[in-house]
Amino acid sequence: MGVPYVPVLGLVGTDLLKRRDDMVIAVDPFDGRTKTVVAKAMRPDVAVFHAQKADRHGNVSCGYEAEVVMLAEASRHVIVTAETIVERLSEKEATGAFIPGIHVDVVARAPFGAHPAGCAGLYGPDKAHMAEYVAASQDDASFDEYLRTYVLDVKDHDEYVERFVPRHWREPARAVGE
Amino acid sequence: MMEYSEDELLAVLLSREVRDGEISACGALSQIPAAGLLLARELHAPNAEILILRSAFDPFHTSRQFHFLAQRGEMGLFFVSGVQIDRHGNYNLHQLGPDPERPKARFPGGYGGGMIYYAARRTVVFRTEHTRRSLVERVDFVSAAGATPPDVLRRGHPSKMVTPKATFRFDKNAAVFKLDTIHPPWTLDDIRANTGFELDVKGAIPATPAPTEEELHVLRHVIRRRMIDTGTYAAWAERSLGN
Repeated sequence: MGVPYVPVLGLVGTDLLKRRDDMVIAVDPFDGRTKTVVAKAMRPDVAVFHAQKADRHGNVSCGYEAEVVMLAEASRHVIVTAETIVERLSEKEATGAFIPGIHVDVVARAPFGAHPAGCAGLYGPDKAHMAEYVAASQDDASFDEYLRTYVLDVKDHDEYVERFVPRHWREPARAVGE
Repeated sequence: MMEYSEDELLAVLLSREVRDGEISACGALSQIPAAGLLLARELHAPNAEILILRSAFDPFHTSRQFHFLAQRGEMGLFFVSGVQIDRHGNYNLHQLGPDPERPKARFPGGYGGGMIYYAARRTVVFRTEHTRRSLVERVDFVSAAGATPPDVLRRGHPSKMVTPKATFRFDKNAAVFKLDTIHPPWTLDDIRANTGFELDVKGAIPATPAPTEEELHVLRHVIRRRMIDTGTYAAWAERSLGN
């Protein structure tokens, strides 16, 4: 949107407001009376997210994940990983939420890049892995162990997919995706 | 007298709050309101638009669409719950404990409720547990505020609170919940013993009209089947309705 702040209904009287310095109560400049919360604009330096399909020109098709369109517009730099990358998205492929390449700095192919979360229309969340994640987040020691296993001690994305994405997900999905 | 579970009772009581022709909604993780919304549309509100977030009864693909619909004032009724609810209409979805920096327990939180409480014309707060720990004088953390200074823009307010033992009506002028009806066989003494705030009751409190045979029949057969067939809290419907 490119504006410094927007009014938001609600939140006055909550403890949320006490803990945020990017939301304050302001008077409506038109009637000089009514108060609402105004939220400071966010201008991220970098946005990184995963999408269904991208092309070599930086165009991105994100299915139903339309929230990322706003994220891409707001951020100075945008890095997108995608299940598949094609030469150029056709009219038919540019369905759902679409981000034109003018907003995008980099696209990279990363099949199952949303794992253990889901990628709408392609695969759902990995429930067993999510349960493990929830259990690991109970304390710092078990969370460190989780990070070592799934992030720090993994060489690259290919190794992650090979070791941690359920095998029966990969074969049919890859056949469809390529 | 018909037998029914607390979940069934709550679903029926919530369904009675839905008005025909309005948009009525509930958020995620809301199986009891979902059943109530579907029941209302089947019985007394055939033209109600119902919106069960992240289900087959959710027309939206982004939370922005849901947020702006509410913010525009198009939502008639919203159902919400909280780990604690207080006499002043505040509810808590965030954390428990006297020290906000060192909570005893944390919950998923949420910010949408703090907006929808202002936006929906009526919000019905419900709780599956009627105890002194869940219904309190002041919540430990205000996730959404029941009352608002008069110069703050607000379109709607809490209207009722529904528990397995009673219903409360929100008195907008006094900005407090007042005991409205008691579900038999509970008595005023039971409510007093299990509520963590002063009831301030004058006179007799009427009994809540029990779920009718029709309400229970439709809930247990038509709505249960519909929830299973549409994958709307299907496991809950199978387990909790009509058993």
